[in-house]
Amino acid sequence: MNNDICFLAEFDGGSPARSALELAAGAAGLAAESGGAAVGLAYGAGAAAGAASLGAAGAARVVVLSDTDGPAISLAAAAAATIGDDAPLAFLAPATPNGRDLAAALMGLLGLPALGPVRAVRIEGGRVRAEQSTLQGTVITVSESMADAPQPVIILALSGTFTPLEGGGGAASVSTAPSSDAGALGAARIVESHPADAAVANLEEAAVIIAGGRGVGSAAGFEPLNELAAVLDGAVGASRAAADAGWVPYQLQIGQTGKVVKPALYVGCGISGAIQHRVGMQTAENVVAINKDPDAPIGEFADLFVVGDLFAIVPELTAEIRRRKGIPS
Amino acid sequence: MKIVVCVKQVPATTAEKRYTADLRLDRAASESVINPLDEYAIEQALRLQEAGAVETVVYLSMGPESAAEALRRALAMGGEEAYQVTDDALAGADQWATARVLAAALGKLAPDVALMGMSSDDARGSLVPGAVAAIRGLPLLSYAAELMLTGSTARIRRLTASGFDVLEAPLPVVASVTDQVGEPRYASLKGIMAARRKSLETWNLADLGLSAHDVHGAALTRVVEVRPPETKAPTERVENLGPAEAASRIADWLAARKLI
Ligand SMILES: Cc1cc2nc3c(=O)[nH]c(=O)nc-3n(C[C@H](O)[C@H](O)[C@H](O)COP(=O)(O)OP(=O)(O)OC[C@H]3O[C@@H](n4cnc5c(N)ncnc54)[C@H](O)[C@@H]3O)c2cc1C
Ligand SMILES: Nc1ncnc2c1ncn2[C@@H]1O[C@H](COP(=O)(O)O)[C@@H](O)[C@H]1O
Repeated sequence: MNNDICFLAEFDGGSPARSALELAAGAAGLAAESGGAAVGLAYGAGAAAGAASLGAAGAARVVVLSDTDGPAISLAAAAAATIGDDAPLAFLAPATPNGRDLAAALMGLLGLPALGPVRAVRIEGGRVRAEQSTLQGTVITVSESMADAPQPVIILALSGTFTPLEGGGGAASVSTAPSSDAGALGAARIVESHPADAAVANLEEAAVIIAGGRGVGSAAGFEPLNELAAVLDGAVGASRAAADAGWVPYQLQIGQTGKVVKPALYVGCGISGAIQHRVGMQTAENVVAINKDPDAPIGEFADLFVVGDLFAIVPELTAEIRRRKGIPS
Repeated sequence: MKIVVCVKQVPATTAEKRYTADLRLDRAASESVINPLDEYAIEQALRLQEAGAVETVVYLSMGPESAAEALRRALAMGGEEAYQVTDDALAGADQWATARVLAAALGKLAPDVALMGMSSDDARGSLVPGAVAAIRGLPLLSYAAELMLTGSTARIRRLTASGFDVLEAPLPVVASVTDQVGEPRYASLKGIMAARRKSLETWNLADLGLSAHDVHGAALTRVVEVRPPETKAPTERVENLGPAEAASRIADWLAARKLI
């Protein structure tokens, strides 16, 4: 057993995913407290070439699990072998589908404790404690592994839990995981890939999100939201009602079965604020809602609640911001 | 072809939640429902059965005695029979213990597909499906927008950041679904009546060949603190203003927070 903090570093299109940079920073911070090292487990196309660069993000060492794309769960055996007997204190995984599957398999293979999805992690008296928002955001719980449970404790971290380091240290030392038989967990394969016609915004990285719901009424109804997003350098998101109706791609859905986002500003237009939507945006720093129903549930948790017709207010707001920023319309 | 749908009973989103003195959710004090995403798993299984791809739909739940209610409700939607694992030693089970127990029960039931929701409303870890697959040594097809079964192969459609993938694995598999599989049906009155006559068998840990020791006293993790979320400043309301005035007020508000 040691005091290292391991983290999963997913590579996407040749470079580390945002989650890899966040977890590297989180692992570095926790390792400084625990007296161990931040160790990345990298996977995905480009992981071998990019592993050393994770040093600048906070990693002291990086072990490459795989250099190709594929279901992450097939790497569970390799991750288990890498962790091996010299068990680290904690293992951070992103609370993404890939991260959860790999973490879950590791929990099952090694009988490890797991916490999450969490929104804060700290070390208290040498023990890892994680903070979770549970029961649809109505309760905060702080949890830890049992004192006699094996190490590492697996932590599923929501995006935005840690902030990437800026201009951190040098290159990380890189090694390759021993080859291991993936077994049945490697048997699920991607047999077809169908990319969308047009790329959609990565909501997890947007600082400003203008979200539209059933009240937007149609695909064309999203146009004023697009314009507002443009003047604020933001992205457009949606409720499930709007995504289900086909007005926007599913990838823009925010909520329990969509994206969990943490922008500096979220503006909900024609969204009632159902609990399943709320769990996807409740950690936004500033929430503005525009809704014509004065009793809409979103009015109970928005910071600014504007009662009115979105089709009248949103274009006026876009024009007003253009005026104040001196952008010609 | 046999599907076992794993169904969890959870507190309703509207129900008031309480914690017991030892920081466990007081399930007796909360109104309970079938975990909403598990209803989508049930719907997917029943659609496959209606299409003739599946003969038998069986339900499995681990939980206190009252969780039998969730299984009766599932049986009212359709399907043949249900199994409940209940044991005092499982109170406060975490996701690892849950996966260990479900894996043992699935070992007895030996389905072609163990089907789950992508996450439970209360734990929201999405860890049970992957852990069950690892413990059982089976492939995992997770986050399915659709499950298809042909011959000895299971396929799923999974939405991705930029479209969708099709994944495939040889049966038997563990699979989990999203809410994209299709809206769950309501139980009909006839279904509710029929459910009363369907078999619901109860197992304890010993029936699965497990002891409290095997599940580490039900948990590898524990809650050490429970508190309400941070109280925020009260909502500011803008009402009864014309669009231009309302827009100007929003812009002022954004400017005051340096958002524009
Ligand atoms: C298992 C499960 C998972 C789910 N996951 C998600 C999820 O990930 N994300 C999600 O969003 N939902 C999810 N839902 C659905 C959720 O419960 C709600 O049904 C959904 O969020 C409602 O979307 P909405 O607010 O756009 O629509 P509605 O609830 O219909 O609200 C529309 C609002 O628009 C307002 N409005 C109408 N016209 C105007 C106008 N001209 N100007 C201003 N306001 C107007 C109305 O007053 C109303 O408040 C899930 C549900 C389940 C069961
Ligand atoms: N106690 C349980 N009994 C039956 N199925 C469960 C139980 N807990 C979790 N599951 C299944 O596992 C899925 C994912 O749950 P979780 O990993 O807790 O988010 C759920 O949607 C259920 O299908």
